Amino acid sequence: MKFLLQLIVIFVLAYVLELFFPWYVIVVAAFFAGYVVRSRANFLAGFVAIAGLWAWKAWMIDGEASTDLSARVARIFTLQDNTLLFVITALVGGLVGGFAALSGALLRPAKKKWYEKR
Amino acid sequence: MRLIKFSVSFAITLALVYFLDNRWVIGKAPLPPLGKLLDPFHGFWQNIEPRGAQPPTELHIPGLQDKVTLVFDSLAIPHIFASNEADLYLAQGYVTAMHRLWQMEIQTHAAAGRVSEIAGPAALENDRYMRRLGMTFGAQHAFETMMKNDTTRRMIEKYAEGVNAYIQSLHYSDLAFEYKLLDYRPEPWTPLKSALLLKNMAYSLCMRDKDIEMTNALQLFGPEVVDLLYPDQEGVGEPIVDQPGSWKFANVLSDSIPLALPKELIQVKKKPGADPTTGSNNWAVHGSKTATGSPMLCNDPHLNLSLPSLWYVVQLHGPGTNCMGASLPGTPGIIIGFTDSVAWGVTNAQRDLIDWFRITYKDSTRQKYRLDERWANTRAVVETIHVRGEDAVSDTVYYTHWGPITYDNTFKANNDHADYAFRWIAHDPSLELLTFYKLNRARSFDDYKKALNTYQAPAQNFVFASVQGDVAMRVQGKFPARRQNEGRFVLDGSLRTNGWQAFIPVEQNIAYRNPPRGFVSSANQYPVDNTYPYYITATSFEAYRNRRINSVLTQDTSITVADMMALQTDNYNLKAAESLPTWLKQLDSTRLSPAEMTAFDILKAWNYTNTADAEGAAYYEAWWDSMYPNLIWDELSQGDTLLDYPTTYTTLKLMRDKPDLAFFDIQKTPQKETVVDIVRLAFTKSVQSIEQWKKEHAGSTKVPWGAYKDSRINHLLRLEPLSVAVNAGGNHDIVNAFSKTHGPSWRMIVSLEKTGVKAWGVYPGGQSGNPGSPHYADMIDTWTNGKYPALHFLQNAGQSADKFSSIVLTPSER
Repeated sequence: MKFLLQLIVIFVLAYVLELFFPWYVIVVAAFFAGYVVRSRANFLAGFVAIAGLWAWKAWMIDGEASTDLSARVARIFTLQDNTLLFVITALVGGLVGGFAALSGALLRPAKKKWYEKR
Repeated sequence: MRLIKFSVSFAITLALVYFLDNRWVIGKAPLPPLGKLLDPFHGFWQNIEPRGAQPPTELHIPGLQDKVTLVFDSLAIPHIFASNEADLYLAQGYVTAMHRLWQMEIQTHAAAGRVSEIAGPAALENDRYMRRLGMTFGAQHAFETMMKNDTTRRMIEKYAEGVNAYIQSLHYSDLAFEYKLLDYRPEPWTPLKSALLLKNMAYSLCMRDKDIEMTNALQLFGPEVVDLLYPDQEGVGEPIVDQPGSWKFANVLSDSIPLALPKELIQVKKKPGADPTTGSNNWAVHGSKTATGSPMLCNDPHLNLSLPSLWYVVQLHGPGTNCMGASLPGTPGIIIGFTDSVAWGVTNAQRDLIDWFRITYKDSTRQKYRLDERWANTRAVVETIHVRGEDAVSDTVYYTHWGPITYDNTFKANNDHADYAFRWIAHDPSLELLTFYKLNRARSFDDYKKALNTYQAPAQNFVFASVQGDVAMRVQGKFPARRQNEGRFVLDGSLRTNGWQAFIPVEQNIAYRNPPRGFVSSANQYPVDNTYPYYITATSFEAYRNRRINSVLTQDTSITVADMMALQTDNYNLKAAESLPTWLKQLDSTRLSPAEMTAFDILKAWNYTNTADAEGAAYYEAWWDSMYPNLIWDELSQGDTLLDYPTTYTTLKLMRDKPDLAFFDIQKTPQKETVVDIVRLAFTKSVQSIEQWKKEHAGSTKVPWGAYKDSRINHLLRLEPLSVAVNAGGNHDIVNAFSKTHGPSWRMIVSLEKTGVKAWGVYPGGQSGNPGSPHYADMIDTWTNGKYPALHFLQNAGQSADKFSSIVLTPSER
């Protein structure tokens, strides 16, 4: 449950921040959600959220594209077709998102449960 | 422990961001900043334009005095309506930058020798070359002249203001794709850059010479052979202006110039100049020969075809002007176009406007050189070239009385202390822009005449037609009044009198108005009949297109627009018609292999027309390419000793008239070959290469010319995925001069009817420089198929049609 919440927070926050700031603002979104909504799989949450956000946004743009620029860019990177370009786009964003979320989570001191307290 | 883990994780995050936010060079391959580039919110994905995207309806632009309306038609051609001149050119700068900023900037960088700043060390040699040609030196002179004239100053300053208003509005996500891929940002635009682009045009058109090559040929072979191989006139076809006996003026200066040949053979790894197949067609037909009774004007300049395209079509409407046509992105005004009363176009005049002067240094320091009775000082200019990712490189270029020393011991020359200085017409102060300003407002023949008077370089054949019924041609440029043979060979730079002593007065330039034959035309051929009193020389003059155009225009009556479209896209191969029958006779048809027999039959049945599907054209062109230049002129490739090849026409003439010429012998074989041997050998080779081509193309049984030619319109960065392959007919020496890389870069036809000027135009590209725009290459198919969209020459901003959109530019506070 927390994982899903964390994932959604990163996705939404990164989306909003990216409207105003450069691409690396995704670090802020993932870091923040890693810290505040720490889950059991912080890296995964950051990775999936940002990879999903970037793949979704790229897919939306390509869906209503008037040209095949994505396929041409894929060829510039010597890729067969643009499917791999979506994957790489997602991977690049996902990696940064994953490590940022993990860092945020690791910065926050572990909250001890009542039975662990002395 | 947790904090250590955090530190590691956070460090990885930061390192990743740093890595993905910067450009890297791995091995020698550049890797763009992947994070920045692939981010779909700001990166290249943002350059993909959605279907049916509409531009904003209003933009606030600093520097405007009044509202300006931009109407975009269905091809994204802007029609600019301004209430004053300053706003007109500001808006032209803004809208051109909106579509073509990256191209404008990279082309000025190329002209100024600054590409290394962006591309790194790979571009260094070419940057040095541009600086050593004095491109900025020439541009600076042009810029200073333009700034002294109120009209041109306003044009370039306001245009720059418009470009800068656009640049200032840009965020990273708005940058052109190429900026993102190469990871840099546009710098502010300056009026000097407009001057650089005009010099870049001079470089494309007026940069070819063979003085050094001719000098070496003279030393190696003697004057008879030189006149045989490299005649000043080939005596073929009609000159552009043919008015024997009409040149009734007192010409200036016609003594002789001493030949002062250097003793050494000149060994320079000279950079190739303009492509020899670069050329253009233009003509204007008098109303007496047209169906409407009104004159028609046609022009198609042949240049290296690229994406984004060389030309940008625009309409400029303001006080005192309504004109439309092709503009050069980065330069205000229209270069080839029409107003509501006249039309004009250009082809290259070919004339030799480059000389090389041998410098006699006092000593090895290169500080002093002989000039008449004294030792003059060279001026050392240290060029600092910034190289991306590396230390800046300094290059010293010595300037003399004549111009810069392009080639010396540090750059592509072996002759120590025997340097040659470069004299080029495009180094002189000039005011070409004023010519275009006036042409953009011309209403009559007199306006055209006055506009041309200040035009200097690159020299052009300006065709003209008006609704009043005039057709005219003028070979306009600043031409030195050359003495016999002056400019054919290198000159002794120690004597000032060897330089250009005087220039042909502008009213004595070659010109023609309403000739009795009912049309004027030019296709880069020899300009004038032999009674013209000035000596004329050039690297080469055209021999085929001009004859085809003139024979069609002479026969035609009641000419329609469709006839003119057919002539501009005419694929008749006159060269083949004149050479192929003899070659076929020279083959001994009994001894042919099966593949050769097939080729023979196809060639025999061919109608000398280079259409895309013609197999005969493929066999003919392959045959010629196997002969010329390397097989025939093997004697002229002598290591570092520069020599030029005779022209196609002279070569074919010698093959016909002097089959036993010593040059036809192939040097590396023991026996003595004649033309017949060459023709047979080349035939065998060409059939082999076509068989090879068929194998490489999925065992194709046919070899259509268009596929064999494999033409390509390359992106300026030579990125294959951004380039477009084109399957089409034509070739150099054909009216439809579409070779592998060069061709008609803008086809325009204007009918000058009294009821309103009508025009058609197309170029192989699109208005937008953005590869993610539907207008990146949307005219290529139309152009390939020989079709012409009608140009919407609007009378007012309200006169728009379906699928048009408009933007109102309104003044804003700075």
